[in-house]
Amino acid sequence: MKIFKNSIVSVFSVLVGLALSTSVSMAEDFSAGSNAKEFGLEEEVKSTFSAKVVDMVCEIAGDCSDNCGNGERQLGLVRDADNKLISVLKNGQFSFNGAAEDLLPYCNKKVDVDGLMIGDPEEFNTQFYMVQLIREAGSDKWNKANRWTKKWAERNPEAKGKGPWFRRDPRVKKQVEATGYFGLGKEADIAYAKENQ
Amino acid sequence: MKSHFKLFSVAVVSVFTCFANINLAFSATEPKPIEIKGEIIDTWCYLSGVMGGQDAVIGTAHHTCALWCTAGGIPVGVLDEDGQIYMVLKLKGEDTLKQSDSIMEIQSDVITAKGLHYVRDGVNYLIVEDVIANDGISNFNHEDYGSVPPNSFPKKYLSNQ
Repeated sequence: MKIFKNSIVSVFSVLVGLALSTSVSMAEDFSAGSNAKEFGLEEEVKSTFSAKVVDMVCEIAGDCSDNCGNGERQLGLVRDADNKLISVLKNGQFSFNGAAEDLLPYCNKKVDVDGLMIGDPEEFNTQFYMVQLIREAGSDKWNKANRWTKKWAERNPEAKGKGPWFRRDPRVKKQVEATGYFGLGKEADIAYAKENQ
Repeated sequence: MKSHFKLFSVAVVSVFTCFANINLAFSATEPKPIEIKGEIIDTWCYLSGVMGGQDAVIGTAHHTCALWCTAGGIPVGVLDEDGQIYMVLKLKGEDTLKQSDSIMEIQSDVITAKGLHYVRDGVNYLIVEDVIANDGISNFNHEDYGSVPPNSFPKKYLSNQ
């Protein structure tokens, strides 16, 4: 009878422990030890954690591709601490760059990342990530998440020149040429310029 | 003793089920067919507040910046009429970071799309199977905000024409 009672207590302890660890991890603070730069963004919180780099389409929809889509798909992070899928919107650069190029070398690998969680969790149910530093699990060397512009230059040798990439990008220039800066055509651009310049 | 054991068992199951349900609710990935109408937006500027309030980082005011962000590989979203954001994972069979014009051509447009809706950890994701209507740009907010950011419209536009 005593053995039976002890077994019940043990099972109960394990179940409560599991339940509590679930609830704790949902509210865990990942800011300790972060060296991320602050940007003053909406509900910004420094956040460093260990995770696995995943192809988002594969992870969510089960539609998997070689090497996480070879740069053609968004990549994300499944955080070790709570198995939560983190949507990564941005790398550490200042010029309108996503993070897929920075995560791609770590496709399906375990990494440590450092950056910022951003966005109002009450309005959007969660927060999103800006990765600034990344390293493969077990490595001492952090790498800056700033590969995007170099990769863009390799893809667009004909766009070489002065000024930021987004003013030379062929796809951007094609759209602006076709529909203007406001997407309403050249006449709207001229009207705006006449009124404001 | 027997009734205590029963009560104890119910309590254990209840506590565990409660927490397990919370966890499952946040990680569900079962797709649901969806027809959705909304504006194609640049998710970074909308969610981060880096360029100002949400009303200023959509529509015509933010059109050129949305092109920059899309070409830059920032995830594109659909902002529906209830203010919910759906992160677009695929557009008509095409991966969203493919260097094509498809995703560029619909920036700031209000579209109606059919596809598959997934929810994972509180985030809405969308596989767009088809765009069944495109109403074009319908938010002319450059009349209120100008170009956002200001340098997304050339300083000397007229003299360069």
